[in-house]
Amino acid sequence: MIELMNDSLRFLFPHVHPRARLEVSFVRTLRIPDDGSAYPTPPEMGLYPMVHVDDFEDTVPAHWLERGGVMLPMYQSEALLVRFGGGSPKTSYPFAIKLAAGKVNALTGDEWINHLTPHPQDYAVSPPQEQIDGYCVGRGVVRQFLAMPLGLGYTAEEQLATTAKFGGIQVCAYPMKPEEFQRLSAWADNPFSLTGFSEEQAPFRAEMGLGLGGLLGQDIRLDPFGFDAWDHKNTSRCFVHLVDSALWTAITGKAPPGPAPQAREYNEAGLPYHEKRYAPTPVHEGSRILERLRTVEAP
Amino acid sequence: MLPKNNVFGEFVREKRLTLLETDKNYSLRKVAMRIQVEPSYLSKVERGEQPPPSEAKIVLLARDLGEDEDVLLALSGKVSSDIQDVIRKRPALFAQLIRDLKDMPDNAVLRIIREVRDGNW
Repeated sequence: MIELMNDSLRFLFPHVHPRARLEVSFVRTLRIPDDGSAYPTPPEMGLYPMVHVDDFEDTVPAHWLERGGVMLPMYQSEALLVRFGGGSPKTSYPFAIKLAAGKVNALTGDEWINHLTPHPQDYAVSPPQEQIDGYCVGRGVVRQFLAMPLGLGYTAEEQLATTAKFGGIQVCAYPMKPEEFQRLSAWADNPFSLTGFSEEQAPFRAEMGLGLGGLLGQDIRLDPFGFDAWDHKNTSRCFVHLVDSALWTAITGKAPPGPAPQAREYNEAGLPYHEKRYAPTPVHEGSRILERLRTVEAP
Repeated sequence: MLPKNNVFGEFVREKRLTLLETDKNYSLRKVAMRIQVEPSYLSKVERGEQPPPSEAKIVLLARDLGEDEDVLLALSGKVSSDIQDVIRKRPALFAQLIRDLKDMPDNAVLRIIREVRDGNW
Protein backbone atom coordinates (compact mmCIF):
# COMPACT_ATOMS: atom_id res chain seq x y z
CA MET A 1 0.00 0.00 0.00
CA ILE A 2 1.02 3.61 -0.52
CA GLU A 3 0.25 6.46 1.89
CA LEU A 4 0.66 10.16 1.27
CA MET A 5 2.24 11.62 4.38
CA ASN A 6 4.01 14.94 4.91
CA ASP A 7 4.23 15.47 1.13
CA SER A 8 6.02 12.14 0.66
CA LEU A 9 4.79 8.84 -0.76
CA ARG A 10 5.24 6.07 1.78
CA PHE A 11 5.36 2.62 0.20
CA LEU A 12 4.53 0.03 2.88
CA PHE A 13 4.78 -3.75 2.60
CA PRO A 14 3.91 -4.99 6.13
CA HIS A 15 2.99 -8.41 4.71
CA VAL A 16 6.53 -8.76 3.30
CA HIS A 17 8.48 -7.48 6.32
CA PRO A 18 7.66 -5.06 9.18
CA ARG A 19 10.56 -2.85 8.11
CA ALA A 20 9.78 -2.91 4.38
CA ARG A 21 9.05 0.81 4.05
CA LEU A 22 10.22 3.26 1.42
CA GLU A 23 9.65 7.01 1.26
CA VAL A 24 9.69 8.74 -2.10
CA SER A 25 9.74 12.55 -2.17
CA PHE A 26 9.85 15.05 -4.99
CA VAL A 27 12.24 17.92 -4.31
CA ARG A 28 12.28 21.37 -5.93
CA THR A 29 15.73 22.29 -7.13
CA LEU A 30 17.53 24.95 -9.12
CA ARG A 31 17.37 24.65 -12.89
CA ILE A 32 20.99 24.67 -14.07
CA PRO A 33 22.12 26.13 -17.41
CA ASP A 34 22.25 23.81 -20.42
CA ASP A 35 25.67 24.94 -21.61
CA GLY A 36 27.42 21.61 -22.13
CA SER A 37 29.09 21.63 -18.69
CA ALA A 38 28.25 18.94 -16.14
CA TYR A 39 27.28 20.78 -12.94
CA PRO A 40 27.50 19.48 -9.37
CA THR A 41 24.31 18.89 -7.38
CA PRO A 42 22.32 22.15 -7.28
CA PRO A 43 20.65 23.50 -4.12
CA GLU A 44 17.29 22.19 -2.97
CA MET A 45 14.24 24.32 -2.20
CA GLY A 46 12.01 21.99 -0.25
CA LEU A 47 9.48 19.30 -1.12
CA TYR A 48 6.71 19.76 -3.64
CA PRO A 49 3.28 19.77 -1.99
CA MET A 50 1.23 16.75 -3.06
CA VAL A 51 -2.49 15.94 -2.91
CA HIS A 52 -4.67 13.00 -3.91
CA VAL A 53 -6.24 13.50 -7.35
CA ASP A 54 -9.39 11.87 -5.96
CA ASP A 55 -9.90 14.90 -3.69
CA PHE A 56 -10.43 17.17 -6.70
CA GLU A 57 -12.73 15.14 -8.90
CA ASP A 58 -14.67 18.27 -9.89
CA THR A 59 -11.61 20.10 -11.22
CA VAL A 60 -9.33 17.44 -12.74
CA PRO A 61 -10.02 15.69 -16.04
CA ALA A 62 -11.59 12.24 -16.07
CA HIS A 63 -8.43 10.54 -17.38
CA TRP A 64 -6.50 11.71 -14.29
CA LEU A 65 -9.09 10.09 -12.05
CA GLU A 66 -8.81 6.93 -14.12
CA ARG A 67 -5.03 6.82 -13.53
CA GLY A 68 -5.38 7.60 -9.83
CA GLY A 69 -2.38 8.69 -7.75
CA VAL A 70 -1.37 12.14 -6.62
CA MET A 71 -0.50 15.50 -8.18
CA LEU A 72 2.01 18.29 -7.56
CA PRO A 73 2.52 21.83 -8.94
CA MET A 74 5.65 22.59 -10.95
CA TYR A 75 7.13 25.71 -12.57
CA GLN A 76 8.99 25.51 -15.86
CA SER A 77 11.73 27.64 -14.31
CA GLU A 78 12.72 24.97 -11.79
CA ALA A 79 13.87 21.34 -11.86
CA LEU A 80 12.72 18.28 -9.93
CA LEU A 81 14.66 15.51 -8.29
CA VAL A 82 13.33 12.28 -6.78
CA ARG A 83 14.56 11.41 -3.28
CA PHE A 84 14.48 7.94 -1.74
CA GLY A 85 14.48 7.41 2.02
CA GLY A 86 13.01 5.46 4.89
CA GLY A 87 15.76 5.42 7.47
CA SER A 88 19.50 5.74 7.64
CA PRO A 89 21.42 3.99 4.83
CA LYS A 90 22.59 1.39 7.31
CA THR A 91 19.13 0.40 8.51
CA SER A 92 16.88 1.03 5.50
CA TYR A 93 15.09 -1.87 3.91
CA PRO A 94 16.42 -2.15 0.33
CA PHE A 95 14.09 -1.55 -2.61
CA ALA A 96 14.36 -1.76 -6.37
CA ILE A 97 12.64 1.32 -7.81
CA LYS A 98 11.46 1.96 -11.34
CA LEU A 99 11.12 5.60 -12.30
CA ALA A 100 9.59 6.92 -15.50
CA ALA A 101 8.27 10.17 -16.95
CA GLY A 102 5.50 9.97 -19.52
CA LYS A 103 6.01 6.21 -19.17
CA VAL A 104 9.55 6.54 -20.56
CA ASN A 105 12.02 4.82 -18.24
CA ALA A 106 14.38 7.46 -16.80
CA LEU A 107 17.38 5.11 -16.83
CA THR A 108 16.99 3.31 -20.17
CA GLY A 109 14.64 5.40 -22.31
CA ASP A 110 12.50 2.32 -22.87
CA GLU A 111 8.72 2.25 -22.73
CA TRP A 112 7.21 1.43 -19.30
CA ILE A 113 6.78 -2.20 -18.34
CA ASN A 114 5.59 -3.31 -14.91
CA HIS A 115 8.41 -5.80 -14.26
CA LEU A 116 12.11 -5.30 -13.61
CA THR A 117 14.70 -5.86 -16.34
CA PRO A 118 18.35 -6.61 -15.45
CA HIS A 119 20.07 -5.93 -18.80
CA PRO A 120 20.19 -3.02 -19.21
CA GLN A 121 19.22 -2.40 -15.60
CA ASP A 122 15.99 -0.40 -15.74
CA TYR A 123 15.71 0.30 -12.01
CA ALA A 124 17.58 2.03 -9.22
CA VAL A 125 18.37 0.39 -5.88
CA SER A 126 17.97 2.29 -2.62
CA PRO A 127 20.02 2.10 -0.54
CA PRO A 128 22.60 2.91 -1.90
CA GLN A 129 20.93 5.30 -4.39
CA GLU A 130 19.70 8.35 -2.46
CA GLN A 131 18.17 10.34 -5.29
CA ILE A 132 17.78 10.65 -9.05
CA ASP A 133 18.12 14.16 -10.47
CA GLY A 134 17.29 13.47 -14.10
CA TYR A 135 17.33 11.23 -17.16
CA CYS A 136 20.44 9.01 -17.20
CA VAL A 137 22.09 10.03 -20.49
CA GLY A 138 25.60 8.65 -19.89
CA ARG A 139 28.00 7.16 -17.40
CA GLY A 140 28.02 9.49 -14.39
CA VAL A 141 25.78 12.15 -15.96
CA VAL A 142 22.05 12.88 -15.97
CA ARG A 143 19.95 15.59 -17.61
CA GLN A 144 17.70 17.45 -15.18
CA PHE A 145 13.97 16.78 -15.05
CA LEU A 146 12.23 19.95 -16.31
CA ALA A 147 8.47 20.45 -16.50
CA MET A 148 7.05 21.23 -19.94
CA PRO A 149 3.42 21.47 -21.03
CA LEU A 150 2.30 18.42 -22.96
CA GLY A 151 1.72 18.99 -26.64
CA LEU A 152 4.77 21.17 -27.40
CA GLY A 153 7.05 18.25 -28.25
CA TYR A 154 9.71 18.82 -25.57
CA THR A 155 9.08 15.91 -23.23
CA ALA A 156 11.03 12.68 -23.62
CA GLU A 157 7.72 10.91 -24.18
CA GLU A 158 6.77 13.13 -27.12
CA GLN A 159 10.22 12.92 -28.69
CA LEU A 160 10.29 9.13 -28.55
CA ALA A 161 6.68 8.38 -29.36
CA THR A 162 5.67 11.66 -31.06
CA THR A 163 2.58 11.78 -28.87
CA ALA A 164 1.68 13.32 -25.51
CA LYS A 165 -0.49 10.68 -24.00
CA PHE A 166 0.63 10.30 -20.39
CA GLY A 167 2.92 12.99 -19.00
CA GLY A 168 3.54 12.93 -15.24
CA ILE A 169 5.93 10.69 -13.31
CA GLN A 170 5.51 6.98 -12.64
CA VAL A 171 7.10 5.18 -9.69
CA CYS A 172 7.02 1.48 -8.84
CA ALA A 173 8.69 -0.07 -5.77
CA TYR A 174 9.79 -3.70 -5.36
CA PRO A 175 10.91 -4.68 -1.83
CA MET A 176 13.81 -7.02 -1.23
CA LYS A 177 12.72 -10.60 -0.51
CA PRO A 178 12.46 -10.98 3.29
CA GLU A 179 14.80 -13.97 3.39
CA GLU A 180 17.38 -11.95 1.47
CA PHE A 181 16.97 -9.08 3.93
CA GLN A 182 17.47 -11.43 6.88
CA ARG A 183 20.65 -12.71 5.30
CA LEU A 184 21.82 -9.15 4.68
CA SER A 185 20.99 -8.02 8.22
CA ALA A 186 23.06 -10.84 9.59
CA TRP A 187 26.01 -9.75 7.53
CA ALA A 188 28.35 -7.62 9.64
CA ASP A 189 29.29 -5.14 6.95
CA ASN A 190 26.02 -4.25 5.29
CA PRO A 191 27.00 -3.27 1.69
CA PHE A 192 24.84 -2.04 0.35
CA SER A 193 3.99 1.46 -28.04
CA LEU A 194 2.66 4.42 -27.31
CA THR A 195 -0.27 5.31 -29.61
CA GLY A 196 -1.43 8.72 -30.68
CA PHE A 197 -4.19 10.44 -28.80
CA SER A 198 -7.42 11.31 -30.49
CA GLU A 199 -8.76 14.86 -30.60
CA GLU A 200 -11.06 13.98 -27.73
CA GLN A 201 -7.99 13.08 -25.63
CA ALA A 202 -5.98 16.25 -26.25
CA PRO A 203 -3.80 17.14 -23.23
CA PHE A 204 -5.52 18.94 -20.38
CA ARG A 205 -4.27 22.55 -20.31
CA ALA A 206 -2.60 22.18 -16.90
CA GLU A 207 -0.99 18.82 -17.72
CA MET A 208 2.81 18.67 -17.71
CA GLY A 209 5.48 16.14 -18.65
CA LEU A 210 9.23 16.09 -18.08
CA GLY A 211 11.74 17.31 -20.64
CA LEU A 212 15.53 17.17 -20.48
CA GLY A 213 17.53 20.02 -18.96
CA GLY A 214 21.17 20.77 -18.22
CA LEU A 215 23.81 18.17 -17.40
CA LEU A 216 24.51 17.12 -13.81
CA GLY A 217 27.24 14.84 -12.57
CA GLN A 218 25.46 11.93 -10.88
CA ASP A 219 26.18 8.22 -10.66
CA ILE A 220 23.23 5.87 -11.02
CA ARG A 221 24.58 2.88 -9.17
CA LEU A 222 24.15 -0.66 -10.42
CA ASP A 223 22.26 -3.25 -8.37
CA PRO A 224 24.68 -4.45 -5.64
CA PHE A 225 22.32 -7.19 -4.40
CA GLY A 226 21.55 -9.09 -7.63
CA PHE A 227 18.35 -9.46 -9.62
CA ASP A 228 17.10 -12.42 -7.55
CA ALA A 229 17.10 -10.34 -4.35
CA TRP A 230 13.85 -8.56 -5.30
CA ASP A 231 10.31 -9.62 -4.55
CA HIS A 232 8.82 -9.34 -8.02
CA LYS A 233 5.32 -10.30 -6.87
CA ASN A 234 4.76 -7.71 -4.14
CA THR A 235 4.96 -4.30 -5.79
CA SER A 236 3.20 -0.95 -5.50
CA ARG A 237 3.10 1.76 -8.12
CA CYS A 238 1.93 5.36 -8.30
CA PHE A 239 1.13 7.92 -11.02
CA VAL A 240 2.28 11.42 -10.05
CA HIS A 241 0.50 14.05 -12.16
CA LEU A 242 2.39 17.27 -12.84
CA VAL A 243 0.29 20.43 -12.79
CA ASP A 244 1.26 23.82 -14.20
CA SER A 245 1.81 25.98 -11.09
CA ALA A 246 -0.26 28.76 -12.66
CA LEU A 247 -3.32 26.49 -12.60
CA TRP A 248 -2.70 24.76 -9.23
CA THR A 249 -4.93 27.18 -7.31
CA ALA A 250 -7.77 26.81 -9.81
CA ILE A 251 -7.68 23.02 -9.35
CA THR A 252 -6.98 22.67 -5.65
CA GLY A 253 -7.90 26.02 -4.08
CA LYS A 254 -4.43 26.02 -2.50
CA ALA A 255 -1.56 28.39 -3.28
CA PRO A 256 1.51 26.80 -4.96
CA PRO A 257 4.98 27.46 -3.51
CA GLY A 258 6.60 30.68 -4.75
CA PRO A 259 8.72 30.44 -7.91
CA ALA A 260 12.26 29.16 -7.54
CA PRO A 261 15.18 31.53 -8.16
CA GLN A 262 16.93 31.38 -11.53
CA ALA A 263 20.44 29.89 -11.70
CA ARG A 264 21.80 33.31 -12.70
CA GLU A 265 20.35 34.94 -9.55
CA TYR A 266 21.68 32.11 -7.42
CA ASN A 267 25.18 32.34 -8.88
CA GLU A 268 25.25 36.12 -8.52
CA ALA A 269 24.46 35.69 -4.82
CA GLY A 270 27.58 33.50 -4.54
CA LEU A 271 25.63 30.53 -3.14
CA PRO A 272 27.15 27.04 -3.27
CA TYR A 273 26.59 23.83 -5.22
CA HIS A 274 27.30 20.50 -3.58
CA GLU A 275 29.72 17.95 -4.92
CA LYS A 276 28.54 14.48 -3.92
CA ARG A 277 31.18 11.82 -4.18
CA TYR A 278 30.74 8.13 -3.57
CA ALA A 279 33.15 5.28 -3.04
CA PRO A 280 34.09 3.64 -6.37
CA THR A 281 31.23 1.38 -7.36
CA PRO A 282 29.75 0.04 -10.61
CA VAL A 283 27.51 2.65 -12.18
CA HIS A 284 24.90 2.72 -14.94
CA GLU A 285 26.27 3.41 -18.41
CA GLY A 286 23.31 5.63 -19.30
CA SER A 287 20.89 5.37 -22.18
CA ARG A 288 21.84 5.94 -25.81
CA ILE A 289 18.13 6.53 -26.49
CA LEU A 290 17.90 9.37 -23.96
CA GLU A 291 21.29 10.78 -24.91
CA ARG A 292 20.00 11.60 -28.41
CA LEU A 293 16.96 13.60 -27.27
CA ARG A 294 16.95 17.38 -27.54
CA THR A 295 16.91 19.48 -24.43
CA VAL A 296 14.52 22.22 -23.35
CA GLU A 297 15.65 25.70 -24.36
CA ALA A 298 16.42 28.16 -21.58
CA PRO A 299 13.44 30.40 -20.68
CA MET B 1 9.59 16.37 34.44
CA LEU B 2 11.01 12.85 34.26
CA PRO B 3 8.80 10.08 32.89
CA LYS B 4 7.26 7.70 35.42
CA ASN B 5 8.90 4.81 33.64
CA ASN B 6 11.70 4.70 31.14
CA VAL B 7 9.99 2.92 28.24
CA PHE B 8 11.40 5.38 25.72
CA GLY B 9 15.00 5.31 26.95
CA GLU B 10 15.02 1.54 27.32
CA PHE B 11 13.59 1.05 23.85
CA VAL B 12 16.17 3.37 22.28
CA ARG B 13 19.06 1.77 24.17
CA GLU B 14 17.97 -1.77 23.29
CA LYS B 15 17.52 -0.88 19.63
CA ARG B 16 20.86 0.92 19.45
CA LEU B 17 22.75 -1.93 21.14
CA THR B 18 21.17 -4.46 18.79
CA LEU B 19 22.38 -2.43 15.82
CA LEU B 20 25.79 -1.98 17.46
CA GLU B 21 26.27 -5.74 17.54
CA THR B 22 26.75 -5.71 13.77
CA ASP B 23 27.71 -2.10 13.09
CA LYS B 24 30.17 0.09 15.02
CA ASN B 25 28.40 3.20 13.76
CA TYR B 26 25.76 2.72 16.45
CA SER B 27 27.95 3.58 19.42
CA LEU B 28 26.44 6.12 21.79
CA ARG B 29 28.88 8.75 20.59
CA LYS B 30 28.22 8.24 16.88
CA VAL B 31 24.44 8.18 17.18
CA ALA B 32 24.55 11.31 19.36
CA MET B 33 26.76 13.03 16.81
CA ARG B 34 24.37 12.20 13.94
CA ILE B 35 21.34 13.58 15.76
CA GLN B 36 23.38 16.54 17.04
CA VAL B 37 23.17 16.05 20.81
CA GLU B 38 25.86 15.50 23.42
CA PRO B 39 26.69 11.81 24.08
CA SER B 40 26.26 12.40 27.83
CA TYR B 41 22.74 13.75 27.18
CA LEU B 42 21.77 10.74 25.04
CA SER B 43 23.19 8.42 27.70
CA LYS B 44 21.01 10.09 30.36
CA VAL B 45 17.95 9.83 28.11
CA GLU B 46 18.61 6.13 27.61
CA ARG B 47 18.92 5.62 31.38
CA GLY B 48 15.80 7.66 32.15
CA GLU B 49 17.74 10.38 33.93
CA GLN B 50 16.58 12.96 31.40
CA PRO B 51 13.13 13.20 29.79
CA PRO B 52 12.90 12.32 26.09
CA PRO B 53 14.23 15.01 23.72
CA SER B 54 12.23 17.34 21.49
CA GLU B 55 9.98 16.10 18.70
CA ALA B 56 12.56 17.10 16.08
CA LYS B 57 15.33 15.13 17.81
CA ILE B 58 13.07 12.11 18.28
CA VAL B 59 12.31 12.14 14.55
CA LEU B 60 16.05 12.25 13.78
CA LEU B 61 16.70 9.44 16.25
CA ALA B 62 13.92 7.30 14.78
CA ARG B 63 15.30 7.74 11.27
CA ASP B 64 18.82 6.94 12.43
CA LEU B 65 17.71 3.76 14.17
CA GLY B 66 15.39 2.73 11.33
CA GLU B 67 12.33 2.93 13.59
CA ASP B 68 8.93 4.43 12.97
CA GLU B 69 8.85 8.10 14.03
CA ASP B 70 5.32 7.87 15.39
CA VAL B 71 6.20 4.82 17.50
CA LEU B 72 9.12 6.61 19.13
CA LEU B 73 7.03 9.74 19.67
CA ALA B 74 4.28 7.67 21.29
CA LEU B 75 6.81 5.96 23.59
CA SER B 76 8.03 9.39 24.64
CA GLY B 77 4.50 10.45 25.54
CA LYS B 78 4.34 12.92 22.63
CA VAL B 79 2.10 13.18 19.59
CA SER B 80 3.65 14.62 16.43
CA SER B 81 2.62 18.21 15.71
CA ASP B 82 0.98 17.32 12.38
CA ILE B 83 -1.25 14.78 14.14
CA GLN B 84 -2.09 17.33 16.83
CA ASP B 85 -3.18 19.75 14.08
CA VAL B 86 -5.41 17.09 12.57
CA ILE B 87 -7.03 16.27 15.94
CA ARG B 88 -7.56 19.93 16.86
CA LYS B 89 -9.70 20.41 13.76
CA ARG B 90 -12.16 17.62 14.72
CA PRO B 91 -11.30 16.63 18.31
CA ALA B 92 -14.50 14.82 19.25
CA LEU B 93 -14.56 12.81 16.02
CA PHE B 94 -10.94 11.68 16.30
CA ALA B 95 -11.18 10.90 20.01
CA GLN B 96 -14.15 8.65 19.25
CA LEU B 97 -12.35 7.10 16.28
CA ILE B 98 -9.24 6.24 18.34
CA ARG B 99 -11.37 4.72 21.13
CA ASP B 100 -13.25 2.63 18.56
CA LEU B 101 -10.00 1.43 16.98
CA LYS B 102 -8.44 0.53 20.34
CA ASP B 103 -9.12 -3.19 20.14
CA MET B 104 -9.10 -3.68 16.39
CA PRO B 105 -6.39 -5.98 14.96
CA ASP B 106 -3.56 -4.37 12.99
CA ASN B 107 -4.74 -5.62 9.63
CA ALA B 108 -8.18 -4.09 10.18
CA VAL B 109 -6.65 -0.74 11.16
CA LEU B 110 -4.39 -0.82 8.12
CA ARG B 111 -7.45 -1.18 5.89
CA ILE B 112 -8.86 2.16 7.02
CA ILE B 113 -5.59 4.07 6.46
CA ARG B 114 -6.09 6.04 3.30
CA GLU B 115 -4.16 4.58 0.42
CA VAL B 116 -2.94 6.37 -2.66
CA ARG B 117 -5.14 4.75 -5.28
CA ASP B 118 -3.52 3.20 -8.33
CA GLY B 119 -5.59 3.26 -11.52
CA ASN B 120 -5.21 2.28 -15.16
CA TRP B 121 -2.21 3.65 -16.99
